[in-house]
Amino acid sequence: MGERGFCLEKEIIPVKFAVVEKVLDLARANSLWPVTFGLACCAIEMMATSMSRFDIDRFGAGVFRASPRQADFMIVTGTVTKKMAPVLVTLYEQMPSPKWVIAMGNCAISGGPFVFEGQYNIVEGVDLLVPVDVYVPGCPPRPEALLEGLLKLEEKITGSRRFPRVESA
Amino acid sequence: MSHITEEIKTSIQGVEPAEVSYPEKGYHYALEASLENLPDIVRFFDKKCFYLECLLCTDYTDTLELVYLFNTHLAPCRFKVTLKIDPQRPIAPSMSAIFDSAYWYEREIHEFYGVLFTGHPNMTYLFLHNDIHEYPLRKGKVPVPPEDKERLDSFKPGEQEDSFFINLGPQHPSTHGVLRVVLKMDGEYIEQAEPVLGYLHRMHEKMAENRSYQQFLPNTGRMDYLGPMSFNLGYVLAVERLCGIPVPERAKFVRIIATELNRICSHLLWLGAYLADLGALTPFLFVFDDREKIQDVLEGITGSRLTYCYFRFGGLYNDVDDPFIEGTKAVVKRMWSRFSLYEKLVTGNVIFINRTKGIGTITKEQARKYGVAGPVLRSAGIACDLRKVEPYSGYDELEVSFPVGEHGDALNTYKIRIAEMENSLRIIEQALAKLPGGPFMAEKVPKKLKPPRGDIYQVVETPRGELGIYIVSDESDRPVRMKWRVPSFSNLMIFPELTKGALLADAVAILGSLDLVIPEIDR
Repeated sequence: MGERGFCLEKEIIPVKFAVVEKVLDLARANSLWPVTFGLACCAIEMMATSMSRFDIDRFGAGVFRASPRQADFMIVTGTVTKKMAPVLVTLYEQMPSPKWVIAMGNCAISGGPFVFEGQYNIVEGVDLLVPVDVYVPGCPPRPEALLEGLLKLEEKITGSRRFPRVESA
Repeated sequence: MSHITEEIKTSIQGVEPAEVSYPEKGYHYALEASLENLPDIVRFFDKKCFYLECLLCTDYTDTLELVYLFNTHLAPCRFKVTLKIDPQRPIAPSMSAIFDSAYWYEREIHEFYGVLFTGHPNMTYLFLHNDIHEYPLRKGKVPVPPEDKERLDSFKPGEQEDSFFINLGPQHPSTHGVLRVVLKMDGEYIEQAEPVLGYLHRMHEKMAENRSYQQFLPNTGRMDYLGPMSFNLGYVLAVERLCGIPVPERAKFVRIIATELNRICSHLLWLGAYLADLGALTPFLFVFDDREKIQDVLEGITGSRLTYCYFRFGGLYNDVDDPFIEGTKAVVKRMWSRFSLYEKLVTGNVIFINRTKGIGTITKEQARKYGVAGPVLRSAGIACDLRKVEPYSGYDELEVSFPVGEHGDALNTYKIRIAEMENSLRIIEQALAKLPGGPFMAEKVPKKLKPPRGDIYQVVETPRGELGIYIVSDESDRPVRMKWRVPSFSNLMIFPELTKGALLADAVAILGSLDLVIPEIDR
């Protein structure tokens, strides 16, 4: 967990603390609360993910908080412009630790289709501003892809996957 | 409409309006103005009840050209007024005292081209920020001089005394994206609202100048992600008109069906989001259920869920199949039964009526001065729907009706959008019944488009209102200038006027009723 968790060095701390840590991780992974933070097109797909058909609530991540102070992770849904960058960093800094970031869509990953010679206004990847845990590619990614990204984040937190992975045929 | 040209000739000296071919150009008359007679010309159009449709600038390297497009709402009569200015000393008189819509257009041109409008009250940043050191849309590298930068950067809320400011956004659930409005408050009442844009400025217009016509096609879907079909349609229509590419009948009707399905999708999302703004969360779940059904149908032919890029120059990406026809019929049938549900859930709800009735009332005169568009315009009682008034892409072969409001308040815009969804269903039904066979793509569309020299203005009715695309070509494979006149931008212009003296909670209700899509405003 590094700087994010309670226990700093797993190897030397007694076993019972490691168990507490694991229980906490399990609790965190099953109730990840995202910030309500829509930037562009991907935000609509994020909304679709939280609605009836895809139902992100199945994974305990449907509690969208309008205030970053109540949230666990941020889904960066769309292009980050240079004007928006300081706002995004402020939002990230306002979130309490432990905190995670999912970069959703090509714009958040690398600037996507808006990178061209002479571009003057976009940040080419949100990982230049804040640390990113999971990248979900697509333009925009399907809701299923975002759910997979969420499962990946859970896997990162707990160390084990919630569902068996679906192998491609 | 020729009497107007006669009148303008007699009332203003030295003005020679020339008639141009509407099917080729998209406007009816062109005239050249000079720095001296421009205010007279603009005042003339104001007196004749025209509205300022768009104000744009084009950089021809040796000269800067300002283009003022005037039009009337009920019978299209579009005048293109051009004003040539010196690129070394770009100064023009401000028209913001005559047409309120010029206020923002002039600020936009100032940031992007460095044209200084004399007499403009507020030449500060609207889209950009002080980290940009060159005028972005100028052809050569023209640096922003320090005194201009100081002028642009002079908006500093919170530094005056005896007032308090609230920032609505850029991260706020009810701004539907990244809009920021700086509100100057007097207790619970709003003294002044100042929208700050550009938090999602993705340089679409600059990109258009940097790539070929085909390469720009996917951008149209990202500009307005709720009604991408309409933006797609507007763009392909403009380029087809510029290059003279014929479109087969079948493609026209499929385009209508796809666009109208998408319009319903967009209005549904507005309905859910607007009610969520007002505190009713349940309809959000209902509308997404319907949306998913429509998206399934569209996904079958386009291959994407949201940012469609289905139309091509001269036709479609691929032909529609039987599952699409069946699916569309099923969606139409389902939607008819859903309206009574929404009626029961929302329309008669006392809380909803109290929150929206008499809120954000727009008069006809205000609507004209600000150039508002779409359902907001029709709610003010002006019967202008471009599908009917200025038909394009086969809409003239169908029976299109549209609702017109009386009061211009938020409740009216809600009713109009619901009725528009019903009308879209009727249009889809007609188009399905008339859908002809034959090819879906024109023969011999050149791989590399090099349109003839000239300009064109194409309008379409998007879910939010009038979209205008102005393209200037110089016979190369990339446009010299592509200006997008977007409906949300002109609708947002009226927001400061509507919120003067309103309660803070009502400001959210007004903002929602305008149905804004931020990437479309910021471009």
